[in-house]
Amino acid sequence: MMNTWALAALWVGLALAATLLAIWCKISTALTEIVVGTVAQLVIGAFMAQGGLLGNTQWITFLAGTGAIVLTFLAGAELDPVIFKTKWREASIIGLAGFFGPFLGCTAIAHYVLHWAIMPSWLCGVALSTTSVAVVYAVMLELGFNVTEYGKSILAACFINDLGTVIALGLIFSPFTIKTLIFVVVSIAVFVILPFLTPWFFRKYGGRVSELEAKYILFLLFAMGGLAMWAGSEAVLPAYMIGMVLAGTVGKDHSLIRRLRTLTFGLLTPFYFIRAGSFVLVPVLIAAPAVMLILFLAKSLTKAISVYPAVRAHRYEGNSGAYYTLMMSTGLTFGTISALFGLNHNIIDQKQYSWIVGTVIASAVIPTVIANSFFLPRHLLPHAITGIQSDQSAQQAAAEKA
Amino acid sequence: MGSPVFVGFQRILVAFDASPHAEHALNVALSMAGDMRAKLFVLAVIRPPEPAESAEFHAVLDEGRERFESSFIPVRARAKEREIELETDVVVGHPAEQILHRADTIQASLIVLGKRSHTILHRWMLGSNSERVLKYAHCPVMIVH
Repeated sequence: MMNTWALAALWVGLALAATLLAIWCKISTALTEIVVGTVAQLVIGAFMAQGGLLGNTQWITFLAGTGAIVLTFLAGAELDPVIFKTKWREASIIGLAGFFGPFLGCTAIAHYVLHWAIMPSWLCGVALSTTSVAVVYAVMLELGFNVTEYGKSILAACFINDLGTVIALGLIFSPFTIKTLIFVVVSIAVFVILPFLTPWFFRKYGGRVSELEAKYILFLLFAMGGLAMWAGSEAVLPAYMIGMVLAGTVGKDHSLIRRLRTLTFGLLTPFYFIRAGSFVLVPVLIAAPAVMLILFLAKSLTKAISVYPAVRAHRYEGNSGAYYTLMMSTGLTFGTISALFGLNHNIIDQKQYSWIVGTVIASAVIPTVIANSFFLPRHLLPHAITGIQSDQSAQQAAAEKA
Repeated sequence: MGSPVFVGFQRILVAFDASPHAEHALNVALSMAGDMRAKLFVLAVIRPPEPAESAEFHAVLDEGRERFESSFIPVRARAKEREIELETDVVVGHPAEQILHRADTIQASLIVLGKRSHTILHRWMLGSNSERVLKYAHCPVMIVH
């Protein structure tokens, strides 16, 4: 049995290796941490120590869980409330289409095609319904669409999509009891009070070296997470909601967000993603790759069927519509959070977990590669027939002509 | 009929990533812009990790913007000293594509790049930005060693 510090050194060493890999290959650290976790568990478990990375050790579970909660809070805090208020109608249509299509479609395919029991099928639907605000936002910035009305509504749609995922995860798998009712009522009260209480509290006591702000945020996340768990729900649900309601206040405090990011990336998320990767059974993926392929196609097709018409209905056609649909098919963090929730609560077994996480990783990588290979160069290479033009570049071109 | 007279480069685009190679390329571009009375465009590209993940992506963006903006301060001072018209910009995306896109948008007459040495693995996986720019640029490209 490894002592605590040796085990901590092993995990942080793996995080360091994953970070170097991310720097060399220019890919997301989250992705390399999952892959490093999977490979390390396989190698260490097989050749070096029984139990491998010991991912179920209590302190590792705590750090990993905190990582998921803070990461979810930060994701929610990136919402732009002004855009959301002005674009809520379009965003709701595209976002709900992006959630319900894959959620229902993947659930049905897991149940009727893969013959999974009903609860694992629902979890599969939740895990594959996600999208990635960051991926979409990155593309918006590349093409200059972040300043356009359409771009803003797509971004808001991504938040709605992920909100659907988080609510489904928080409510579907918990029995509806008086505890659920208490959780919902207390949550609503907290979400209403927080945008007023927090700025006042920070103005009165914040701005000191004792990091009162970070402690306040962590207290809120842990307290609401505890209440959610007590009610049989999931701690990431209130974390995302707290992030969203504080987006207009705490979300604009760049210094605080930066300090939280340091805490999150430096210590918490490596434990979360490496742990998520360590539960993936590589032999299962090798033995039955068809399951992953079916789930991947299910996610991609259901996203395309539901998002593409909604996107086209809002005056966005041709390559760009396909491009956004592909981009909205990604989503790494909420996919792994959902799968890990299912594994921790025995809703899915480790084989199903491996297939779902494998699909989540594939859905994070493949659409980006396809989009960049077949769509992006045509948008950006000079003299190409792009079929789209951003408001910004249109204005720029008009100004140059004038 | 004589051959057309070369009047010099009027709009020079230089790609800048704050590396020593890019600094060297920038020095050459500043010198050329000063001599030719050209307008100089300095473009820095932040490449997000793929697939971008929420908090990490925003952290990369913030860090990149701050780093490049602070790097631009002495560049602006040097350009002002030599009375060179200068425009700086920080964009997000794939470096080669963003450089080509900007060169096209501003109708650059010359693109200046610093030569970076990459490992075989890096070149195989990601390709070389200078090679891509050379292949697709509509105007002359100068690679500074």
